[in-house]
Amino acid sequence: MRKKLLTYLNMEISAAPLISFRLIFGALMIFSTIRFMHLGWIEDHYTNPMMHFKYWGFEWVTPLTTELLYFIHFLIIIAAFGVMFFHGLAYRLAAIVLFLGFTYTELIDLTYYLNHYYFVSLMCFLLIFMPSNLSPFSALNNQKVPRKAIALLKVQIAILYIYAGLAKINYDWLIDALPLKIWVPANDKLFLLGPIFSWEFTPYLFSWIGMLYDTFIVFFLFWKPTRLWAYLTVIIFHALTGFMFQIGVFPFVMIGIATIFFSDAWHEKLVRVFTFGLQSIKMKPFQPSLGKVWNYFFAAYLVFQFLFPWRYLLYQGNLFWSEEGYRFSWRVMLMEKAGTATFYVKDTLTGREGIVDNSEFLNAHQEKQMAMQPDMILQFAHFLGNHYAEKGLYNPEVRAEAYVTLNARPSRLLIDPTRNLMKEKDTFKPKDWILHYQN
Amino acid sequence: MLHNSENESSDTFSVFKVYKIMLKKYLILSTITLTLLVFACKKDEQDKDEAFDRGVMLRNYTENLVVPAYKDLQNDVATLQQKADEFINDISDEKLQDLQNSWLETYKSFQYTNAYNFGPAGEQGLNKSFTEEVATFPVSISKVENILSTGNYNLNDFSRDSRGFLTVEYLIFGKLNENNSDVLALFANNEIRRSFLIDCIANIKSRVDNVTNAWNASFINSFVSNNGTDAGSSTSQFYNEFVKSYETIKNFKIELPLGLRPGQTQAEPQLVEALYSGKTLEITKEHLKSIENIYHGRTKNGTDGIGFKEYLDNVTNGKQLVQSTLTQLEAVKNTLNAIPDNPPISEQIINNPQYVEAFGVELQKHTRFFKSDMSSLLGIAITYSSGDGD
Repeated sequence: MRKKLLTYLNMEISAAPLISFRLIFGALMIFSTIRFMHLGWIEDHYTNPMMHFKYWGFEWVTPLTTELLYFIHFLIIIAAFGVMFFHGLAYRLAAIVLFLGFTYTELIDLTYYLNHYYFVSLMCFLLIFMPSNLSPFSALNNQKVPRKAIALLKVQIAILYIYAGLAKINYDWLIDALPLKIWVPANDKLFLLGPIFSWEFTPYLFSWIGMLYDTFIVFFLFWKPTRLWAYLTVIIFHALTGFMFQIGVFPFVMIGIATIFFSDAWHEKLVRVFTFGLQSIKMKPFQPSLGKVWNYFFAAYLVFQFLFPWRYLLYQGNLFWSEEGYRFSWRVMLMEKAGTATFYVKDTLTGREGIVDNSEFLNAHQEKQMAMQPDMILQFAHFLGNHYAEKGLYNPEVRAEAYVTLNARPSRLLIDPTRNLMKEKDTFKPKDWILHYQN
Repeated sequence: MLHNSENESSDTFSVFKVYKIMLKKYLILSTITLTLLVFACKKDEQDKDEAFDRGVMLRNYTENLVVPAYKDLQNDVATLQQKADEFINDISDEKLQDLQNSWLETYKSFQYTNAYNFGPAGEQGLNKSFTEEVATFPVSISKVENILSTGNYNLNDFSRDSRGFLTVEYLIFGKLNENNSDVLALFANNEIRRSFLIDCIANIKSRVDNVTNAWNASFINSFVSNNGTDAGSSTSQFYNEFVKSYETIKNFKIELPLGLRPGQTQAEPQLVEALYSGKTLEITKEHLKSIENIYHGRTKNGTDGIGFKEYLDNVTNGKQLVQSTLTQLEAVKNTLNAIPDNPPISEQIINNPQYVEAFGVELQKHTRFFKSDMSSLLGIAITYSSGDGD
């Protein structure tokens, strides 16, 4: 059985899907990086803010100067170009630079965490370990890869969709049609479709379709007879969410990436179009480089990917409320949550307590994200404590009064407003200062 | 020979069956959806009036609140200019009092434009928002005194704390220890003070005229027709500036002078708005009134129209939020009205701060209703950045 599976996974198949995946993914990376710079987000996100929210375990990541960050973004563009067109060592190097460059920029500030950025980071990571002696400029019928290479990418994409679908199986989403009951009517001015968005049952319909779509789409893409129809719905679905929500390039990313399920012949055609039919480079025949170590490593990788999103089960309480184990789990556009957090800093010698004006330290996006996520509230509290200690306050105590509304329910206190947050640390242990959520 | 992965599996039958069932389900669903979409496009006429129309709200806001507020201000500033001219030509106690009264009326009118710092009143190039350009406080006494002794000034540079309404206030009311006869002497003896006053008012007037004229019919129409909820939509801009203006009352007009920031060790009366006229309380009341009017969609003279309140009434759980908001707003107003008229706020916050403090506490409690609760229920974007896509 095991032998059969290995034979199946090691079987050499056409490399065309991988080559064209690299072309599509690389082109999307170039586009989104240029867009990011053009919108001025290097300054807005990385260099203008006074403080940054750190990822757990990556507290050492800090933003470089604006000039160097532009340089890194140009490197990302060159690396993405390399991932599209290079082969051999140059390809490998490009993939490494792309992964490190992109992931570095993502790690600068937790505020801007998006599941899709995480997904792009993972994709860049996986590309490092793909066979490197492939080129879009070489005859395509001679280029082979072991099936497991492409399968790995497909499984990662499948995890994204299926887990996003499973996450939607919850009471609020399916029975109350929340948050879509908020988001859908807010889009009632959308071109052509707008009017139905104010119908009462539309959010319910969209909720159920969204759940079923995410959960099952991969299977329909996988199976040849349904593939074309499935892909059409991919385009419709992502285009629709793209029009409705401010989600930037992600609709394009998903529409582009989902082509990996298409046939070899389709990919060969696409590669030819991309390269204007220039298939003149002679490639060395494929050297099996994806051996045992590769197998074990990515078996472990997939086990991690399968299990990590379920870690929330180890915590008590409402996941959406406490967000313990919320990130890195493909929970996309899942809830409407917002908060107002007020911080009180006390000089423990004089006993005088002051009220912080958050906007003195945070931009609007940072404040918005911070005010509803306990670990970010904690980080900001520590930042404030340290900041005011430097300003001469004696051993400051910091407490936060954070009122949070979740899926249109009246706002209530998220964390214990009497707790001195300077005494609390962010760990994977349950945070006992988060107040229990009662519906 | 190229292989497709799905042709490989040997035991496909049961899998095939499952696929088939799912396929059926899926196709049925897609058919239903598509039919509904087509159906919906045809039916939109009847359903439109059931839903809340942001366009109507935006039109009410622009035509009945924003534009009249700027027009009022424009008229008052013209009067202010006239009174200043009269005063310069006849430096007398009577003319000074006329000028001071006119300043107070104008600055009260300004409070009704305080929340509209977008579009023509938003940041443009080197210009900050309209409010920052004409109403920065506290005034830098050292800068103004330097101007008055040297005569060097540029009313379009970054020194926003030495021009605008509050600099005019400083000039015509004098320092805290100076009375009207002192001010009359200062004007009589210093030609620079006279010309600086005239120039300051002219600068305010040109800024007010610019914004007022920019709110013309075609701009109103484009503003009203940009009726989505995304970042950059009129509703989003209007809402964000409304909240910002509200928070200004709490953060800068109340908490900061009270010395409530961490690191402040005592009240700082020199930070109150309208320090030299001592009209802080009156001005604050106007500012809060304008915020309340915006929430209700109500004009300055009390005609109620379609506003955020009505918008909230029409969304999921909105009525509940309106109830909580109005209850808390009552508490805010009660504590504000409980603050004694005399002595001025700048003195109260030192000797008798409990009334102002109580007002600050209620403002604080109220913030979440305007800020996160409201934007969340309405689905209004408050930033431009990409969200978590699906």
